[in-house]
Amino acid sequence: MSSVDMYLLSGVAVFAVCAYALVVHAHLIRKVIAINMMGSGVFVLLTAIARRGDETDPVPHAMVLTGIVVAVSATAFALAVVRKLHEATGHAYLPEEGEDAPPDGGGG
Amino acid sequence: MASVFENTNWMLAPILVPLAAATVAFLLMGIRGEARRNAQNAVGLAAALGVALSALALWAMVSGGGPVRYELGGWEAPLGINLYADGLSVFMLITTAIVGGAGSVYALGYFSGREGEDARRKEDLQDETGSFWPLWMFLWASMNGMFLAADAFNLYITLEILGLSAAALITLGGTRMAFSAGMRYLMVSLLGSLAYLLGVALLYGSFGALDLATLGEAASPIPPVWAALALISLGMALKTGLFPLHFWMPAAYTSAPSAASAILAGLVGKASFYLLLRVWFDVFGGSAPPAAGQIPGVLGAVAIVWGAVMAMRQTRIKTLLAYSSVSQMGYLFLLFALVSGAAPERSFEAWGGGVYLVLAHACAKAAMFMAAGVVIYSVGHDEIPRLRGIFQKLPISVATFAVGGITMMGLPTSGGFTAKYLLFTASVGTGQWWYSLVVLAGSILAALYLLRFLNPALIQVPTAKVYRDAPQIMSGTAFVLAVFSVFLGLMSAPLFELLSVGAPFPSGTMGGS
Amino acid sequence: MSFAGLVLDGLLALSLPVLAWRALSARDLYRAVILFITFGVILALAWARLGAPDIALAEAAIGAGITGALLLNTVGGLSRKNDKDDERPDEPTDRVGRPWRTRLAVTVPVTILAGGLAWAVLSFPAPVVDMPSLVGEAVAEGEVSHPVTAVLLDYRSYDTFLEIGVLLLAALCVWSLGLSAVRSTAPEAVSGSPVLAGFVRLLAPAMVVSGVYLLWAGTSQPGGAFQAGAVLGALGVVMVLTGLLVPSLGRGGVVRAGLALGFAVFLLVGVVSMLATGGFLAYPEGFEYGLILAIEFFLTFSIALTLTALFTTVPPREKGGGA
Repeated sequence: MSSVDMYLLSGVAVFAVCAYALVVHAHLIRKVIAINMMGSGVFVLLTAIARRGDETDPVPHAMVLTGIVVAVSATAFALAVVRKLHEATGHAYLPEEGEDAPPDGGGG
Repeated sequence: MASVFENTNWMLAPILVPLAAATVAFLLMGIRGEARRNAQNAVGLAAALGVALSALALWAMVSGGGPVRYELGGWEAPLGINLYADGLSVFMLITTAIVGGAGSVYALGYFSGREGEDARRKEDLQDETGSFWPLWMFLWASMNGMFLAADAFNLYITLEILGLSAAALITLGGTRMAFSAGMRYLMVSLLGSLAYLLGVALLYGSFGALDLATLGEAASPIPPVWAALALISLGMALKTGLFPLHFWMPAAYTSAPSAASAILAGLVGKASFYLLLRVWFDVFGGSAPPAAGQIPGVLGAVAIVWGAVMAMRQTRIKTLLAYSSVSQMGYLFLLFALVSGAAPERSFEAWGGGVYLVLAHACAKAAMFMAAGVVIYSVGHDEIPRLRGIFQKLPISVATFAVGGITMMGLPTSGGFTAKYLLFTASVGTGQWWYSLVVLAGSILAALYLLRFLNPALIQVPTAKVYRDAPQIMSGTAFVLAVFSVFLGLMSAPLFELLSVGAPFPSGTMGGS
Repeated sequence: MSFAGLVLDGLLALSLPVLAWRALSARDLYRAVILFITFGVILALAWARLGAPDIALAEAAIGAGITGALLLNTVGGLSRKNDKDDERPDEPTDRVGRPWRTRLAVTVPVTILAGGLAWAVLSFPAPVVDMPSLVGEAVAEGEVSHPVTAVLLDYRSYDTFLEIGVLLLAALCVWSLGLSAVRSTAPEAVSGSPVLAGFVRLLAPAMVVSGVYLLWAGTSQPGGAFQAGAVLGALGVVMVLTGLLVPSLGRGGVVRAGLALGFAVFLLVGVVSMLATGGFLAYPEGFEYGLILAIEFFLTFSIALTLTALFTTVPPREKGGGA
């Protein structure tokens, strides 16, 4: 197995581990971390792909750089919403399905 | 025939105009009060006009000379990024131009609530930070950018802009439910985009290109391509809200400010559906096994029934409409099953029917959410049991609901009729008659859930107190948009002609019904 | 490749999913964030091994550094609020709280996913398009010699343009929530410490110099607007933490203009080039190097400012507005 193959599998493993954690964990900060690292899994895959041939392919590198900036943007917003939700409800997790019944339905 | 419309730079206008407007509206956030609102309104309306004009220009260009390709930065694909406009792209642009334009006009009234003026009702939003216009402009630019994109990674960026700005529009609702619904939508959206990105990485790993046309030529039935198809379909089904991945939808559409609900339910879900269509037929067209289309088809059929049954059990107008969207989005996914049936000459009917429903549903559902917004603005809530007899006070909004309902039910002359009729005939024509039963059942169920609100609203009883009158522009815009959706069935000929430009299936058997 | 190199790659590749797993199942959130930052550092090392110094640099500064600081700050903010309320509603869900049946039900599809993906990535065919040589040919003819910079700001400049839009949008999204300032998680003694502030003052010029160097070097070697912006953004975060920079960063109008500047300049160059050459972002002959450097300069500034603003989350003060 070559180095590239190992990194390809590593990226897949990171993606899968984070997908599992995303579903299993309720705390939103853990979910945000899971999504962020899930993205990193894809980035590892892309960088490994860039390394396959004789020359390094710069296009996946550019994609990953773009992806890192997008990831930090999304993470920053997600964490801000977590804070807002915590301010409003005292919790940092989402109500389970069905519990979403509007507590503030009628206004006032 | 040298006209200004032949300049392909028009292709950038639907993207750059809202982006420039977003930047200006963002800078205007610094001003306070009335001045900011007026300035942002002017910028937003100018952008809406710009998008509408450029969509028309592209319509003329594409129907005159066929699909157009634009090399950004002067670089040829696959090295550079291309834009590409065919009939489907322009059709989607026209959809956003109509529904987005109406949404922009509606927002003028919706956010006009003056400070201190009986602000205890939740729908009395001030948009205190002035974020609505810049967020909406980013959202609009991302949708238009998606419709014109010809590059798999570029589509990823537009998806992310779409997800972030839509989530922020939901949290503008400002309630606890809005924060949790916005958070859930953000998670769903990020997960959907990541699944898409992983699919793109697999495609790049297999073929070394991101340009959709290059990928379409290269794609072959190999494991990475199947995995990419599965991941992209899953991600987009999640973002579109296909059963059973619709769990985020009711809370999101209900708790967003109604001006945003109209845009979200009308347009945002359709954008991810467009992406699925584009990738499914343009990239995976030859390499996906025909039976694969049965998976979205069957899920769509379940969604039609499940969404309608759930809609019947709701007690709020906006949740009823949200579940109605679950049901109506189900129709769109039928086309994946119907195009691959035993009669390939029916494929265009199925594909065109599904795509036409995108426009019809966008207009009708946006109008109905706008009407719900008028009700909440005037009465302070949208709980159906407390709205008995509301027709006496808010006749136009109840009428909007009824007129929009014609498309939901698929009754003649509405756009919904044209679309559902085509889906129906395609399912009979391709020997998949069971889908035609679902199409019919969905219409009957739609009538039942619409009556859940219309029935009590129309009875003559002493009715809820109207606290204040909503600006005329709100109820007026909603009504006009609903009426437009009813006449869409009569205007289908030019639109189907447009759709046939660069369509993945020959339109031979269908003149322009 | 040498045997030692192979072993090192194997270790790095193995430690990434392990660290991810440990970060996500860590007992408390602080620990989770520390492990997340460790993951980022290992990731940067892996990318250095994969011949991607550009990404390694960006990951270290943005992925591990700024994202880590964001997470620490949020965790700190939430737990402080809990201490005050004297109840910890987050406690029960802070750990893996699902019954084993649920977890098993999740494990099955995830295992299928992992297996399918592993099969897929190990059966990549030889690519149809030889992208590295396409880029190589274009770079040989162009004025920018570092391929990653050429891809980002020339061949795929439209992506980069939209991506700067994402950054601007993120700041807008955060501000739309109207959050109040989170005090730095650093203990009071640290945030007011003259020693630390003095140290940062000493550090700041060095970081600015390295940022400018990265920006300038980016046209011919690893580096560029993203790396420079990331380093300067990290400096901004440190300055806010030590109290050298107020959380609102300055006058509202100025901060807003600063955030939008990079995106606006990019848009303007695109439109002007459209008028000059007939193609959006098609730089006129001979202006390629200058325009790319100019765009990068403004991007660096806006990226650094936006990253700092995303950390503070406080909308800027408006004229006449309160604190």
